[in-house]
Amino acid sequence: MSADRLKSVGWEIVRKGWFLALLVFLWWLVTAAGWADPYKLPSPGDVLSTLGNLFTERALLDDLGATLLRLVEGWAIGVTAGVLLGLITGGSRFLEDGIRPVIAGLQAVPTIAFLPLAILWFGFNGTAVLVITAFGTFKPMAISTYSAMHQVSPTLMMAGRAMGARGLFLQRTLVFPAIVPNLVTGLKLSWSFAWRALMAAEIVVTGAQGLGGVLELGREIGAIDVVIAVILVILVVGIVTEQLFFTRLERWVNRRWGLTGAR
Amino acid sequence: MAPALRVNAVSKTYARSESPALTPTSFDVEPGQFVSLVGPSGCGKSTLLGMIAGLITPDEGSIEALGEPVTGPGNGRAIVFQDAALFPWLTLERNVEYGLRAHGVPKAERREKVAHALRMVHLDHVAEKHPYELSGGMRQRASIARALVLEPEILLMDEPFSALDAQTRTLLQDELQRIWLETRPAVVFVTHNLIEAAFLSDTVHLLSSSPGRVVKTYDIGIPRPRDEADPALLDIRHDMLERLRAEVDDAALRRAEFAEVTEVGA
Repeated sequence: MSADRLKSVGWEIVRKGWFLALLVFLWWLVTAAGWADPYKLPSPGDVLSTLGNLFTERALLDDLGATLLRLVEGWAIGVTAGVLLGLITGGSRFLEDGIRPVIAGLQAVPTIAFLPLAILWFGFNGTAVLVITAFGTFKPMAISTYSAMHQVSPTLMMAGRAMGARGLFLQRTLVFPAIVPNLVTGLKLSWSFAWRALMAAEIVVTGAQGLGGVLELGREIGAIDVVIAVILVILVVGIVTEQLFFTRLERWVNRRWGLTGAR
Repeated sequence: MAPALRVNAVSKTYARSESPALTPTSFDVEPGQFVSLVGPSGCGKSTLLGMIAGLITPDEGSIEALGEPVTGPGNGRAIVFQDAALFPWLTLERNVEYGLRAHGVPKAERREKVAHALRMVHLDHVAEKHPYELSGGMRQRASIARALVLEPEILLMDEPFSALDAQTRTLLQDELQRIWLETRPAVVFVTHNLIEAAFLSDTVHLLSSSPGRVVKTYDIGIPRPRDEADPALLDIRHDMLERLRAEVDDAALRRAEFAEVTEVGA
């Protein structure tokens, strides 16, 4: 790595990290000056060592793994169901007009409100949590799919129809690829909805292994350092998925669909 | 022989519009005949093409393609749009193949026909590229290949060259003339460029606006292949311009609208 390159990377870290560093500094200042009760706000150092202990002694990695697995599973199920429903019913005015308002209405209800039902139907276990996560993903994804379908260029639709495409062939080979760039936004949105539903459900359904259970344990035994440590883990997962997955996906889609680099 | 296309007294008035987009209009297109609809914006030429394509329903009248009434897109008609309308996520090859897939043509046959169509428009060397990697002229050639691969008996072209620069446009006009001489579909070609219409066509229907209607029909008897600089073409263009000026002057007296004079003269 050349000196110039090193310099520009260094500058990027400063540019993107200064505010976070300031927040951590203020946090440290408040605890070091003794302005906060350590029982309510432990110092950054304490939280960091707790985090280390959690990974070595309580096997936090297993909890993280269980949560991530559930998140990815629930999200994938919800995304698939949402996109399929949108594609299959969005081709017909009659079906869309009936179904879309119901989903939009359900989207106004926080997903966690359905948890008691899910527990009753699927049991006080990981399945109920998974179902809630998938449901929390499904609603915004279906709505995103419907909106994206309304933005498909009428000329492309005419071109497709004029070449003889219709029905499910048209939906699969024209409408679906045409909405992919818009769906990426829906994927990100539904990912955040999946997280919310998952955490809320895991905090309640404590029998299942997962980060939510650790959060709830921390609250029960009054170990606020555990709670903050888990929040930090979730934050890091969020940043990593955004940078490693969604940003790359978006860039790839934009290039492949000619949205950047077009003449 | 029965006409490839029979346009029978079709008309259209759009909602919230005082004057008809198109008053009842009739004409036939014979198999293998090249017909242009030319005129200023608002003369109804695109509406007429949309109706022939089966994408717009006429208020009155009817259209027959290959002896069958037109109720939607398809049966023997292929369309080339102004902005190429290629699918950005597919390579050129896959774009050209699309209509064959929609028609359930087997893979081996698809490959052969796509290769042939791409060679015909001289794009075989960029078959694997995506549309955004190509110039506007290449994209439009690809969209012509996409239409031709279906071996249409009727080819509909909606201002296919109007978004291109003058040089590319001239090249593509020559190419279209050559391709048409090789494949001989019936063509309905919409344009606002008078010389382009005269150069390419057997018959030109000159349209005017407010209300949209055919004001004069020209039969162009010049033998092919033609040269765009042929003085006979310039004479025809001159006559069309005169005719349109008279129309617009009439309209101007009635409604004081000059906007289209400049466009037609351009």
